Amino acid sequence: MQAPTAAVLLNELVVQQALEQAWEDSLSDDPVHRHEEGGWIYLDSPTGDVMVRRAPAGTQSTLDLSIPPVVRGAKVIATFHTHPNPSAEGWEPGPSAEDTQSAWLFGVPCLIRADDGTHTTGPASRRGGLTGGPGYPP
Amino acid sequence: MVSNTAGASSGVALLGGHALAIAQVDALRVYRDLSVYRIQLVLEDDGWHVDYELKDTRLKGGGPHYLIDASTGAIISKRYEQ
Repeated sequence: MQAPTAAVLLNELVVQQALEQAWEDSLSDDPVHRHEEGGWIYLDSPTGDVMVRRAPAGTQSTLDLSIPPVVRGAKVIATFHTHPNPSAEGWEPGPSAEDTQSAWLFGVPCLIRADDGTHTTGPASRRGGLTGGPGYPP
Repeated sequence: MVSNTAGASSGVALLGGHALAIAQVDALRVYRDLSVYRIQLVLEDDGWHVDYELKDTRLKGGGPHYLIDASTGAIISKRYEQ
């Protein structure tokens, strides 16, 4: 069974709300305390429901999404995080090389909320579809 | 960790350590904490490339990247990834 693509997920209300909440929590207007926020997006296999879990807050320019929590009956189908540093101050709003590298390593799309909107990188959908265990795909 | 590679040498007046120091001043000002990055320093035909890359490839995020004039020490371009 094919997992939803990043483009499909960006149209899901629960994903849009998660991106906006993470953006708000990133304190992008605060030059001292702004930091990355994010988490994981899951698909409940039996029901088809999309769910979100948040990760602990990151730093100004990094976030650790390497160990997704296990959600019973669900599989990780994407990650999301924020880029809170302003493009007006010379920061790149889009994915870094490391964002792309880790997305391919994890095997799921990476959704990013920045000050110019949303970006995606990595595979279009979960590698191998909805096979494998509850975490990242093999 | 600093990886230093000299791939070109004509017209070079600036040593790698000086190029790194120039980049480090700006990177510290903008990123504040550079402990999560390893630094790659490479001399190319267009100048010194100073790239801060995450040590842990499983992290989301990014670092600063600089191109520094090998004659004058001026920062030709910089990119702040996040």
